[in-house]
Amino acid sequence: MEEQKQAIMEFLEGKKGKSKFYFSDFCKIFPDLKQREVKKFLTALVNEGKLEFWSSGSTTMYGIKGAGKQNAEED
Amino acid sequence: MAFISSGYNPEKPMENRITDIGPRHFEEFYPPVIKANKGKWDYHEIVKPGVLKHVALSGDVCYTVRVGAARLMSITLIREACDVADKHCGGHLRFTTRNNIEFMVDAEAKVQPLIDDLMSRKFAGGSYKFPVGGTGAGVSNIVHTQGWAHCHTPATDASGPVKAVMDEMFEHFQSMDLPAMVRIALACCLNMCGAVHCSDIGIVGIHRKPPIIEHDRLDNICEIPLAISACPTAAIKPAKVDYDGKKVNTVAVNPERCMYCGNCYTMCPAMPLADMDGDGIVIMVGGKVSNRISMPKFSKVVVAYIPNEPPRWPTLTKTVKHIVDVYSKNAKKYERLGEWAERIGWEKFFELCDLEFTHHCIDDFRDPAYYTWRQSTQFKFTNAVK
Amino acid sequence: MAKHKTPLLDELESGPWPSFVSDIKMEAEHRHQNPDGLDYQIPVDCPDDLLGVMELSYKDKETHWKHGGIVGVFGYGGGVIGRYCDQPEKFPGVAHFHTVRVAQPAGKYYTTEYLRGIMDIWDLRGSGMTNMHGSTGDMVLLGTTTPQLEEIFYDLTHTMNTDLGGSGGNLRTPADCLGKSRCEFACYDTNAVCHALTNDYQDELHRPAFPYKFKFKFDGCPNSCVAALARSDFSVVGTWKDDIRIDQDRVKAYVAGEFKPNAGAHGSRDWGKFDIVAEVVDRCPTKCMSYDGAKLSIDNSNCTRCMHCINVMPAALKIGEETGASILLGAKAPILDGAQMSSLLMPFVVVEEPYDEIKEIIENIWDWWMEEGKNRERVGETMKRLSFQKLLEVTGIPAMPQHVKEPRSNPYIFFKEEEVPGGWTRDQQAFRERHKS
Repeated sequence: MEEQKQAIMEFLEGKKGKSKFYFSDFCKIFPDLKQREVKKFLTALVNEGKLEFWSSGSTTMYGIKGAGKQNAEED
Repeated sequence: MAFISSGYNPEKPMENRITDIGPRHFEEFYPPVIKANKGKWDYHEIVKPGVLKHVALSGDVCYTVRVGAARLMSITLIREACDVADKHCGGHLRFTTRNNIEFMVDAEAKVQPLIDDLMSRKFAGGSYKFPVGGTGAGVSNIVHTQGWAHCHTPATDASGPVKAVMDEMFEHFQSMDLPAMVRIALACCLNMCGAVHCSDIGIVGIHRKPPIIEHDRLDNICEIPLAISACPTAAIKPAKVDYDGKKVNTVAVNPERCMYCGNCYTMCPAMPLADMDGDGIVIMVGGKVSNRISMPKFSKVVVAYIPNEPPRWPTLTKTVKHIVDVYSKNAKKYERLGEWAERIGWEKFFELCDLEFTHHCIDDFRDPAYYTWRQSTQFKFTNAVK
Repeated sequence: MAKHKTPLLDELESGPWPSFVSDIKMEAEHRHQNPDGLDYQIPVDCPDDLLGVMELSYKDKETHWKHGGIVGVFGYGGGVIGRYCDQPEKFPGVAHFHTVRVAQPAGKYYTTEYLRGIMDIWDLRGSGMTNMHGSTGDMVLLGTTTPQLEEIFYDLTHTMNTDLGGSGGNLRTPADCLGKSRCEFACYDTNAVCHALTNDYQDELHRPAFPYKFKFKFDGCPNSCVAALARSDFSVVGTWKDDIRIDQDRVKAYVAGEFKPNAGAHGSRDWGKFDIVAEVVDRCPTKCMSYDGAKLSIDNSNCTRCMHCINVMPAALKIGEETGASILLGAKAPILDGAQMSSLLMPFVVVEEPYDEIKEIIENIWDWWMEEGKNRERVGETMKRLSFQKLLEVTGIPAMPQHVKEPRSNPYIFFKEEEVPGGWTRDQQAFRERHKS
């Protein structure tokens, strides 16, 4: 679990110009794992306060907590 | 204002946290007569407009008084509905899918006092708080969306047009004088929160202009890749433009591809969509979800554009009223609006309802379009054929 | 004294239908009077400012709201919709005006005690304005500030023993008709299955991992009062397999006018005397009924269970006893590829606890859609893109004529290699032995 969480954080930290990602983007990091497994890593990171959700109302994305231009706008 | 804590500790969000408990169990909320007779109802009858009588195999009877309500309602009004339910219904009430409130009693003698109480309550402005009706072959409450009260991509208001149309339809809400039920629904844009595309009459907000692109601030407040990926038709591309003598990163929108959905505005506040001249309303008719007699049907566009006319949308209300009047006069008993239009033919429908058929009423959107054209010499001559 | 002049909105106070303008004004007045002596946790004048910003929209014919990406409470990816006013200086009371979705109980029955509890929370911590209910089915609490969200959630879970609903790319709060609780047409217990699946799938409801939204709706019978097959991805509609039960004495009573025809639904207009042949027998879409003046007969093998005869004479005609539901998949609103209704997937399923058969279908569909669905693609669009056959394959349901209105009219059938003897590898030599080059 720790290894995969690390991989997710590295994926996010390596992205420039975009701070939020669809669930399917994370599934591509782990092509051999089922979606439900990937969800467990993301949920753990959310519960640790490292990731947060962002929603358009109809869709939902994940990003590093506090990151991104939207965040600066909202608070 | 002094902050009042619920007990939540922001330092330790998981402390004493309760999650994933879902809604309360429905059995806690059933009125006694419902609980006792669930699954053992014999038959029902609409005693008069707004009043349902359900008879159980046990001999028990449940009378339901249905009232209309604006979906947008205050806690003061809901508390007043609770007062009524406490006084007459043992502290129980329910809401319907169409934003009506239902008050249930277990004896005929309790019905009229309940109705009298409900009908006596009016707002300071004069309208009813709890008008009784909305049953059978009439017009029930309009299901609708948020509009200008809360939504960021509406092409029209929701509560206002609904109020204006329901005032016009009120006689049909309070009576059951139509050939069949008429279900009206309103969505304030084509995203259709609460799909209205299978309603007898669908009132739908539409945009007609692509978003504004605020090049001066877009890159400062938006993540360009997110704005691009938000577009369902791939109409948005990254771009660089000259602004104030310097090159800025921004986006370009292909107006031919834009469907005016507002997804980009959701992601990027520098791409506002609302436009006082572009936005307005489409009227769609003839849809239904019930499987009764004929199969469920989509509603069809019969008026391609009506401008927004706040506060009372006179063209919209006049058109809806006229369609309902013509339907009421011409349809057979049990015939839904769409069944009637199909029986007489849509060309006849346009003539009878005095609606102008424009090229916008012909489908040109992707595959299904061809199947709506007429591959036959069977048609009726109407005033449209000169 | 009103904070803002609202001459346009004021015109929506006249007329008989309940005026939302009068109602918001009533709430504004309530907050100014503050009869319960509350220390309001968000601006006292937010109903005034809601009227103010709406009046501005009535003048401009444009919305004044902006979206916010705030999603919910800690750990949840749904249940809250972020909303900000684009004129915060003019209308500070609604500068931050987020929506909170509260999961509604199945059947939307309430006790006043429970409703008052929710209203008390919303009086203290919110705008005092609601939607009863939102389009998906939740109770919608309209307008609060970010610092109040966790407090509201804590109150809801600890005091009211209730939870947030869904939003975003997850399972939305399932909704149902009132079903067997008060309707003799209900073919299964909609309230029970709706509640059970809502609770079984709390993780899918609160923590998004789907390509887009996914809705369940449960209609007890083909009359479809919650519009399941128009408004939900996964539509469960009650039906039955055996015969319509007929009480011939009561049929005669309808003919004699002792019961109101169509359950009284046409009561306000004189349509003449009830004519069972014209109104029931001749209107039957499959013409499987007859009436000889004394006895009503139904050829049930040709009945498609449209409900018309039962609706007209509910005391005399009853749904069958072998009841269950049909499952249809894929309804959605017009964006992007046009509106869709759900398509029939399972003609009949028994709906009984623990609902394993239904859950297996749901989970197979989810696994497939999570794997194959594009971002922002409803399952109805995935079906269209990848074919109905693919859906049958992943759910293990054999093709049957009930799946279509009519068979295909184009013969471009793409057989799979394993369906063709010898596969696609051809024997050139053998071919040329039969044909000169």
